[in-house]
Amino acid sequence: MKVLFLAHTEEGGGLGKAALEALGAAKGLGFELVVGLYGAEVQAGADAIAGCGAAKFLGVAGADFATARYGSDASACEAIAKAAGADLIVMPATARASRVAAGVALRLGAAVDTRLTGLEAAEGKVVATRWFYRQRMVGRIERDARPWLVTVDSGCFEAPSDMKGAASVEMLSPAVATRTVVTGVKSPAADAQTIRPEAKMLLVAGAGWGKSQAGGMKRLDEASQLILSLIGATKCSLGSSKSLVDQSGEGGALPFLTHMHQVGQTGSTPRHQKGLATCCHGEEPHVVGWRFITERRAINLDASCGWAQGKADVLYVADAFAVVKALVELLK
Amino acid sequence: MKGLQIVVLGSIVPDPLQTLEPIVGPTGPALKNEMMLPAVLDPWAGHALYEAANLAKQVEGKVYLVALGPKAKLQQVMMNVAQKVPFEINVLDGPAGGFTDAAETAKALAGAVEKLPGLDKGKLLIFGGWQSASRGTGAVLQMVGELLGVTDQFQGVDEIKMSDDGSFTVLERIEGGSYQLSSCQGAPAVLGWATGNLPEPPNNPQVGMANMRFIMPALQKAVAAPLKGEGLRFQSVEVPSQRRETRIVKDAPVDDIARELADWIRA
Amino acid sequence: MTDHTADKLPEGALPDGVERQRMDVDIACVGFGPAMGGFLHTLSKGLVAEDGAPVAESKAMPGMPPQVICYERADDIGFGVSGVVTKGRGIRASFPDLDLMQIPLATEVRHEEVVYLLDPVGASRRPLVMRLKDRFLRATGLAKNHAYTLPYIPNFLRKEPGYLLSLGQFNQWAGGQIMGQGSAQIWPGTPVAGPLMEGRSVVGVRLQDQGVDRQGRPEAGFMPGMDIGSRLTVVADGPVGAVGRALDEKLGLPVGNHAREWAVGMKMVVDLPEGCALKEGLVLHTLGYPEPEIFGFLYVYPGNIASLGIFVPSWYDSPVRTGYRYLQHWMQHPYLWKHLQGGRMRSWGAKSLQESGRRGEPHLVGDGFARIGEGSGTTNVLTGSGFDEAWTSGVLLGVSVLELMEQDKPFTRENLEATYVRRRRESWLEREARIAEKARDGFQVGVIQGLIGMALAGLSGGKAFWPGATRKPHERIPSLEEFFRGRIPAEEIAQIRRDCTQKGLPLHGALMDRLGWPSIQYDGQLLVSHQDALLLGGKVQAPGGYRDHVTFKSTNVCKACDEKVCIEACSGQAISTNPDGGAPLFDREKCVHCGACIWNCSKPSPQGGESANVDFQAGAGGLHSAEN
Ligand SMILES: Cc1cc2nc3c(=O)[nH]c(=O)nc-3n(C[C@H](O)[C@H](O)[C@H](O)COP(=O)(O)OP(=O)(O)OC[C@H]3O[C@@H](n4cnc5c(N)ncnc54)[C@H](O)[C@@H]3O)c2cc1C
Ligand SMILES: Cc1cc2nc3c(=O)[nH]c(=O)nc-3n(C[C@H](O)[C@H](O)[C@H](O)COP(=O)(O)OP(=O)(O)OC[C@H]3O[C@@H](n4cnc5c(N)ncnc54)[C@H](O)[C@@H]3O)c2cc1C
Ligand code: SF4
Ligand code: SF4
Repeated sequence: MKVLFLAHTEEGGGLGKAALEALGAAKGLGFELVVGLYGAEVQAGADAIAGCGAAKFLGVAGADFATARYGSDASACEAIAKAAGADLIVMPATARASRVAAGVALRLGAAVDTRLTGLEAAEGKVVATRWFYRQRMVGRIERDARPWLVTVDSGCFEAPSDMKGAASVEMLSPAVATRTVVTGVKSPAADAQTIRPEAKMLLVAGAGWGKSQAGGMKRLDEASQLILSLIGATKCSLGSSKSLVDQSGEGGALPFLTHMHQVGQTGSTPRHQKGLATCCHGEEPHVVGWRFITERRAINLDASCGWAQGKADVLYVADAFAVVKALVELLK
Repeated sequence: MKGLQIVVLGSIVPDPLQTLEPIVGPTGPALKNEMMLPAVLDPWAGHALYEAANLAKQVEGKVYLVALGPKAKLQQVMMNVAQKVPFEINVLDGPAGGFTDAAETAKALAGAVEKLPGLDKGKLLIFGGWQSASRGTGAVLQMVGELLGVTDQFQGVDEIKMSDDGSFTVLERIEGGSYQLSSCQGAPAVLGWATGNLPEPPNNPQVGMANMRFIMPALQKAVAAPLKGEGLRFQSVEVPSQRRETRIVKDAPVDDIARELADWIRA
Repeated sequence: MTDHTADKLPEGALPDGVERQRMDVDIACVGFGPAMGGFLHTLSKGLVAEDGAPVAESKAMPGMPPQVICYERADDIGFGVSGVVTKGRGIRASFPDLDLMQIPLATEVRHEEVVYLLDPVGASRRPLVMRLKDRFLRATGLAKNHAYTLPYIPNFLRKEPGYLLSLGQFNQWAGGQIMGQGSAQIWPGTPVAGPLMEGRSVVGVRLQDQGVDRQGRPEAGFMPGMDIGSRLTVVADGPVGAVGRALDEKLGLPVGNHAREWAVGMKMVVDLPEGCALKEGLVLHTLGYPEPEIFGFLYVYPGNIASLGIFVPSWYDSPVRTGYRYLQHWMQHPYLWKHLQGGRMRSWGAKSLQESGRRGEPHLVGDGFARIGEGSGTTNVLTGSGFDEAWTSGVLLGVSVLELMEQDKPFTRENLEATYVRRRRESWLEREARIAEKARDGFQVGVIQGLIGMALAGLSGGKAFWPGATRKPHERIPSLEEFFRGRIPAEEIAQIRRDCTQKGLPLHGALMDRLGWPSIQYDGQLLVSHQDALLLGGKVQAPGGYRDHVTFKSTNVCKACDEKVCIEACSGQAISTNPDGGAPLFDREKCVHCGACIWNCSKPSPQGGESANVDFQAGAGGLHSAEN
């Protein structure tokens, strides 16, 4: 069995965390390994993993492949995969790779499964794990068809280390047919950036922040300021509940919250080492958003809130306004 | 550009708040009580449909909804969706669950799109949700695009802006809350939608009545699309038990709680 | 064109450039419950000849078949709440070859029991006679597990041979059949705001505005509720529907009739624990506990699933009558708990029942309208059944409408009286309703008198009953101090009121604790918080863009109100204490549209009439469970 690890490089030609984890997944299977990289430049990336044990390095590089664009990325992936002739192709589930993975599989006549959270080989069989119904149930799947192209979710596999060296990359130059130009990236300003997938901790702000507090008043400005200070002090990522997001946005309860912050059933399922839920009631929609958070703590005024029923490791029954204020002081 | 043909691919999923439990059925895993659970139009496909209708209004285009799902459930869901925006539906009677193979679904859908009367690929935009809320692979649209030879594709789309000459710009969600901005010379293209920017349209009885003239006949004419379910084998499907021993800290001074949390965050 | 003004709709001119759209149909139908199911099924079958051609032509859209459109408020046609056990006479007649296997959760009634529950915790408010009886049952060893099974079930209560159904699943099934026939359209997610009236005639309906804020003010995407003109409006919006109540208000009830008796039914569908001894087809009714006035039911569906719940009636005078906590105490009665412990809640819901029956009958027809179902007084308060009665009233109207269409006669009051009302008067529906008419009057006096009265009426075919004069629901509700006199001192009530108000909590929890009701130990499965029942069981949600459908007519009246029954009794905790002390707060996202707030208010409407200070309008959303 031959495995192709196929990934795009980042700006500067190196590999991102998600790609390295996907390499870990591919390598972990213990079969013959081929590496395929595409992007503006690939040499730096190949060198960074030169010692990964791959039999061969394939690459597609150039200005045409600098940006995440379906037409060019699909051609690059198709060319590499065809040259590699692998049985199993492992790609990271980044936005860029996810855009093309299934299309590439179709070109190759390959079977495809995306966003795997587990991949292992046992007794000659490869078994994959993935989630269904918006992370509500987990399945173990296998296929006889080869080639089989998979993408793996970030945060699920260990990235191998100490692989630096000099790799010799066999370059391919596929033709690109596209009528699309990527013209730029719109990012929130660095200090306004509150979604940080790489952060160690996720802070979940629930609707309680926007509710009338003891004394009957809403304390929205204070809530905003406290949440932002805690993010500032911890460099954590911010998530929120549907209830709060629906009330927020410009002119709403908390102006910096958008629907991109929503975690849960109809939001995202982020992966972080730690999670702190504040003012969330904690029912199933949250739990789904929480599924891949390893250590979980919660602050709620109400001891009978959903968190008490076995979803968090620790529930602090307390006023989040007061606790977060003191916490920010301590962390300063 | 006038007269775009916007084909929205979308089917039904269980109403998001329902309790879901897997069972082993005759053909592999299935949802317990699947036919009893209330269903809705897959939320991201729904956004795609509303965006399609909005765009069709601007360009005097036409919206088709191609849906692969169990006919009886589709009929029920259509009684809700049909009031929202004008479209013409094409129904494939088959399974819509999360355990079906994306590739099989894509083949069936691409076949149905090919057969749409008067299809002009030069004017074709394929819309859909960037992932389904059931299978969540984000694979179907890409494969339908490939099968139809459409290689300008976008995923996680929140906005499309159409120019008079038919070219358009697209905002796609990428990591870290950022957007990638692209421009494309024009149809054909595939757009997998995230939430978009439009609110859910109100229920309009007139729209409903107009749509119904096509929906009931389309349901009656629905072609059976029994997916074979070959290739993908399930070893197990389960709802992970996530119960934790929750330590409840009550009546503790705020400063103690803050200190404990600070230590935990720093560790 | 005449200018139609819908009754009771918020005044206010439309913003510039926005027009209220209008559409004409032949028959506009309001609400899809069993009554409408019976009507549309009958009509659909009769509207097409054997060769598939329509038997009549549309007058609203000449050249087309008759346009029959039904608007349902809830987001799906399967989101109703009921029991249901039924003799199913009407259903059998409509579906002679009915195969229960087609309808999930349906089965036959196999075994019936009526059980008197004693009070195992000593907190229930039992009259002396009942306490003596309890003592006797315990002393003689007749009571097991604090319960006494009645040795025989009087005929009028028997449901065998009959069906057990889930209303949600039945409605889905029936709706699917009707839509499949193609003669009628059913549109869920579309609340009807009110009737369009010209004098005493109904000329159509107006739909609820969309794209408005909580106060009903236009926002982005504003679409004024459309006017649907119709030759006939069929009102089947159940016991608390906005259209039926608007008609009652405008036209009054026939002399001597009034709809003052209510109950809220709160229920769950439960996955019974493995190895549970309860058998499919069991029908169990309870009385006596948690309060003597509260009746309970437990029906066993196929697949080890039970439908169970309680009824809290308007003649249980407690100003803190909370369905949810009582439901939890009822389930934990040892007689039931031994079967339920370890079970899991699948579904939860609540809804009001119109318990005045025949005496609450409104004007059944008028020019351009006809009323069917519970809102037309079909529910039989003696036999405790409303489902088949509602269906049958729809069938009778269906047959009558077909007759008038075939003869090309207009839907005038006279014509509808000569057909529909006549058929109804001649039916078993009317016969049995007459027997039941005074059966519950005794409850106006007291619970013992009520039970005796029911037995009298049932056994004598309605000739005997225990008399009792009815009062408007708000007139019955005493102050907290009065109700708890002798049990909790007034100063303590005042203290509890202060504490709870400060915390924004209702009073019932604290008061019930004080009376010795044990606190509920949540197990996360069957015993969960009220909010979790909404989320896990009811899957309650509300689409945006609609106005608050529960409002308070006079905030000053609320300000001065000490009972705040609306908060205590709200089935969804959607009405809550206002920390500012004004009118209570309403949270649309939690409302299950049970309508209990209509009759759970202790103050009369400032406008006078029968109603109280709560205004309950048609709204979208609510329960999203199709099992109740
Ligand atoms: C179709 C659908 C999809 C959904 N998808 C999602 C989803 O993806 N993600 C999601 O999150 N939700 C989702 N929901 C919504 C979900 O059902 C809940 O309504 C929502 O998550 C509740 O949010 P919350 O916990 O923030 O608010 P609430 O339930 O209002 O809880 C607020 C909490 O704050 C506490 N609180 C108040 N003040 C304080 C204080 N000072 N200190 C400490 N605690 C305090 C209160 O005790 C309370 O427990 C969905 C709903 C629907 C209908
Ligand atoms: C807990 C409970 C248990 C019961 N158990 C039994 C039993 O075991 N056996 C039995 O025979 N009966 C039982 N009943 C009674 C029975 O369910 C009712 O009598 C029956 O459902 C009445 O049918 P209907 O069609 O008249 O009204 P409903 O079933 O109430 O239907 C009315 C419909 O109209 C809709 N509607 C309301 N307002 C509007 C509006 N403004 N615009 C559009 N739509 C609107 C509602 O959403 C609803 O779907 C029970 C009731 C309850 C609450
Ligand atoms: S609505 Fe009625 S019960 Fe509620 S506070 Fe107002 S007056 Fe009192
Ligand atoms: S507010 Fe809603 S849930 Fe509460 S009693 Fe009224 S109708 Fe029922």
